[in-house]
Amino acid sequence: MRNVAIIGIGYTPVFVSKRRDVCIPEMISEAVENAFQNSGLTPADIEAVIFGNMQTFEGVNLPHLWAADYIASLGKPVMRVATGGTTGMSAFHAAYYHIASGLHDVVMVVTYEKHSEGDAQVGLMGIITPEIMAMLAAGIDVTGQKGMGAIGGGSAGGISYQASSYLHHSGAGIEHIDAVAAMERRNAAKNPYAHLKDPEATAEKIAQTPLISWPIRFGHVCPTTDGATVCILASEEKAAKLADKAAWVWAVANCASDATTGNLIEGIITDPGEQRPATIAAKQAYERAGIEDPRKEIDYVEIYNGFAHQTLMFLERIGMCEVGEAHKLLEKGELEMSGRLPVNASGGVVSTNAIGTSALNRVTECALQIMGQAGEHQVEKEVHKALAHGWGGLMQYVTITILADKPKKL
Amino acid sequence: MEETRQVQGTWDLSTFKFRIEGEGINNMLKEMKEAKLLGNRCHQCGTVYLPANFYCRKCHIAIHEPAEISDHGEVMSYTVGYADVRGNPLDEPRVSLMVKLDGSDTWIMGAGEEMKPEDVHIGMRVKIKWAEHRVGNLQDMESFIPE
Repeated sequence: MRNVAIIGIGYTPVFVSKRRDVCIPEMISEAVENAFQNSGLTPADIEAVIFGNMQTFEGVNLPHLWAADYIASLGKPVMRVATGGTTGMSAFHAAYYHIASGLHDVVMVVTYEKHSEGDAQVGLMGIITPEIMAMLAAGIDVTGQKGMGAIGGGSAGGISYQASSYLHHSGAGIEHIDAVAAMERRNAAKNPYAHLKDPEATAEKIAQTPLISWPIRFGHVCPTTDGATVCILASEEKAAKLADKAAWVWAVANCASDATTGNLIEGIITDPGEQRPATIAAKQAYERAGIEDPRKEIDYVEIYNGFAHQTLMFLERIGMCEVGEAHKLLEKGELEMSGRLPVNASGGVVSTNAIGTSALNRVTECALQIMGQAGEHQVEKEVHKALAHGWGGLMQYVTITILADKPKKL
Repeated sequence: MEETRQVQGTWDLSTFKFRIEGEGINNMLKEMKEAKLLGNRCHQCGTVYLPANFYCRKCHIAIHEPAEISDHGEVMSYTVGYADVRGNPLDEPRVSLMVKLDGSDTWIMGAGEEMKPEDVHIGMRVKIKWAEHRVGNLQDMESFIPE
C-alpha cells in the first residue's frame, strides 16, 4: 500500500436550495474549476475520475456520463459510485484504493446533488421501497390506513425511533438535540459553503419549531441542497511535486448491516440507535491508523448528521466518548469550535445536505481543518488527526476516514 | 436570470412487481385468522424469526421449525407522529411502537392505542388488539394496547 494525500478541494460558490441559473453539468463544472484554481493543477494532471451522486434523486440516469466533458474526464477512466448518504465518502475511498494500490497517481473525486431539479421524496422511494419491504417482512401494513399502518414517512419516520431510543439509552433529553442543532447552525453561519445559517441560533429558538415525529422537530432536520464538491488525491511522490500543503489519509473503513429499521447483526434485530456498523468500522479504522486511544489522538471530528441527535449518538458509537457522555460534553461546551473536541465546525449535514456531496464534505472539511484553511470556521486548537464519518445506505451503512497532517509511516 | 422549466410527472409503483418473502408471511397471515402468531426457530442457534424466515441470518443455513409467538410483548422504541407524510399536522398525535413479542427475537411495528403519548415509554408492556373479524391480512392486528 502507498500513502495517499488530498492535494486539492473545490466547492460550488454557494450551497443553496435552488440553483436555477445553472444546469447540472454547469453546476458540477464550477466545483471542478474551483478545485483546479485552488490546487494549481490542470485537467492534464488528472489520471482518473471517480463520480459520486445519489441514484434517482434528480431523475437523471448516468449523470457521470452526461457530464463527462464538464468534469474533465474525456478519454480517461471513469467510475461511478452510489451508496446512499455515504456516496461521497465511498467515492473518496474508491479514489484512495486507485492510488494506494499503485494503479494511478492522481485521481479526482467529483460529487454533486441538485435537489431542486428532482424530488428527493420520489428518490427516497428507491431507498424506502426495499426498506418498506423489509418492514413488511416484520409485520407492517404499508397502506397506512389503520392498525398496523405505522410508518412515519420518509427517513424522518425511521429516524424518530432511533432518536427516541438514543434518548432513552443515553439519558440525554430533547433539549440536548435542540442545543446541538443550534450549535451547528451557528457554526454554519461562519462557513461560506453552508446552506442553513443562523448566527443567532439558540436551543430555545430550535425548541419553538414544530414537532414532526417525537422527539424530532423541524429544527433538527437537514435541508435539501444544490451543490457540488471536488477532491483531488495524489500518491506521496506526486503530492511532493504538486502540492504545498496536503492532508494525508491514514485509514479508510466501512461496514454494512441489513436493511431492517434496526440493524440485524448476527440474526438478532438490534436497536435502531445501536448502529453497530459505526462501532465496527471505527474500530477497524483505528487499528489501520495505529490509533490506540481515539479520545486522546483524534483532534477533530465531522459526523454525518442528517438529523441533529446523530451528532451526539455517533460520537458515542465511534468511541469518542462513553455512551451517555456526549450530551455532557455538549453542556460543557467541549464540542464547540473553541472546545476540547470540536465537532462539525462546518455546520454538519443538518445545515447543508446536497446528499451526494455530504459524506465527501465530511472528509474535505477535516482536510481543511488539518491544513489550516477553514477560514472563519477554523477551530481554535491545532488539528493533527481528524475523523470523518459517513452514514446512510438504507439506514445501516457507515464509512470512516482518518486524516492526518503527516504521511503515515509505512 | 431565467427560471428553469418544470415537467410534471409521476412514478407509478404499480409498474414494478416486487416479490415479498412469500411463504413466511403467508404462513403468518393464515394463522392470524385464528389470532395466533407463527414464526420459525433456527435449530442450530435458537433464534426465532417472525414472520417465519426460512434461512437463519446468523448461521446462514436453511431452517424449518415452527415456533408459536405470544401476542404480548415489550416496547423497544417508539415515536409520536405530529405530521402526516406530506407534512400536514395531524388532528390527533399518533403513537407508533416497535415491539419485541415474547418468544420472538425480531421486532414488529404498529400503532399504539389506548395510551397517552406522554405515558408511552421504552420497556412498557403491551399486547396486540386483534380485529373482531379477521380475514388473514396484516390489519388483523389492529394495534398495540397496554397489557
